[in-house]
Amino acid sequence: MIDTGFPQVAIAVSLMVLAIILARWQRVGTEKEMAIGTVRSFVQLIAVGYALDFIFNLENIFAILGTLMIMVVVGSYTAARRAPKIPGVWIISFVAILAGSVATLGLMLAVGIISAKAQYLIPLGGMTVGNSMNCSALVMERLHSDITCNRLAVETALSLGKSWRESVHTFFTKAVKAGMMQMLNFFKVVGIVQLPGAMTGMILAGASPLKAVFIQIIVGYMLTAAVTVTGLTAAHLSIRRMFTPAQQLKI
Amino acid sequence: MSDENPINAGPVLQARNLTRAVRTDDRSHTIIDDFSYEFNSGNIYTIVGPSGAGKSSLLRLFNRLDEKTGGEVRFRGQPAESYPVTELRRRIALLFQEPYLFAGTVADNLIYCCKDRKKADPQFTAHYLGLVGLDPALAERSPEKLSVGQKQRVALARILVQEPEILLLDEPTSALDPGAARTIEELITKLNQELQLTIIMVTHNFRQALRLEGASLVVINGRLIESGISKDIFERPANEITRRFVNGELR
Repeated sequence: MIDTGFPQVAIAVSLMVLAIILARWQRVGTEKEMAIGTVRSFVQLIAVGYALDFIFNLENIFAILGTLMIMVVVGSYTAARRAPKIPGVWIISFVAILAGSVATLGLMLAVGIISAKAQYLIPLGGMTVGNSMNCSALVMERLHSDITCNRLAVETALSLGKSWRESVHTFFTKAVKAGMMQMLNFFKVVGIVQLPGAMTGMILAGASPLKAVFIQIIVGYMLTAAVTVTGLTAAHLSIRRMFTPAQQLKI
Repeated sequence: MSDENPINAGPVLQARNLTRAVRTDDRSHTIIDDFSYEFNSGNIYTIVGPSGAGKSSLLRLFNRLDEKTGGEVRFRGQPAESYPVTELRRRIALLFQEPYLFAGTVADNLIYCCKDRKKADPQFTAHYLGLVGLDPALAERSPEKLSVGQKQRVALARILVQEPEILLLDEPTSALDPGAARTIEELITKLNQELQLTIIMVTHNFRQALRLEGASLVVINGRLIESGISKDIFERPANEITRRFVNGELR
């Protein structure tokens, strides 16, 4: 494999400098953001790199679980900010992301596809949490906006004696679909338009393309399962919080 | 009233010291203020008052689309809370000011609440469309192609399918031209007479109350100002607040 370290990164920085010069010359107006982004991503990723190196060397299950938990907490906080008007949104996204991640990583551990090592759990956990976070943010945002924009439809159904669940069924399915759409679209073009992240990484690291493909297929299925569990959980919990026990819309 | 006729046996709906206050921006705002009244079975009542007086809020408390903060509502002698809320809303049905029809056909809307009916049979839809004075041929029409008055009548027919005991009407003619409004008024009188339906209608127009005859309740700022035979109240208003309302001094 090619050697990578600080000298190689320094050379790559010159590409960013070139891009910034181009942006400035063409007056795109993004040069400041690009400069900050260059420094920020460098600092952030290097810090993460050292932290992960440390955790990998520890090989302690509690350190791994702690890292995963930090990911879930940060992910749920980020997702919650997208639908701040849903009561208890932070807890909802936390439970939803945790459910999706635990269900899929847990199953993969249980059947022995992966072992309880930092090398597997951290990167796969990161991908699961990241995708679940996007999904739960989309689902909650969509549900809240659809239901508030369609109050009359929901209350018409309620006033006709439908249950709270029936009254929002259409919006429930639409929101869950929206949350899963990214994964479903990914399947349509995977390998044709773009080589996905996990596969690219493995090929760059010197693995055979076929092995990389197998891992990618596993990752793809795992993420879809995680996103499905997260989306359904987020939708169910969000809707429950939008109604009073007497089935009155409260948002 | 006779003892043999259970339909006219005393109050079907009672409100006792009914109050609803909501908090907005840390301030409590009273929408319904200590409202008490007994509605007898089989009569037509009009709740009259200026916009923002709390008339629609009253209807929403009667079928529990909103929650009271004080007092009680009794339906057939029992607290409203003692009924499953979905059942209560079917028996005390609310027709909104703005009719909302679900996607599909007029017939689909009519069978919206029928669990065992996959497809509306023509006799069934013709019966209910006829009840609200619509041509049975409209059954297969899309709701989008109907006029507002027709939509309002389809929404009413959809409610009648459930055979409610009390019909709550929230300004059902406010979006209609005078001709269409009169037709709805005639329909209301007809439904009251033919089906012995108890009807409680909200309107800001006291002339409409006079046309419907029956009893009126004047509600201003969430309070019941007076009640009695519509003719007595509005033709020679004795109450100073009612007089100002009739003269258009209250907005």
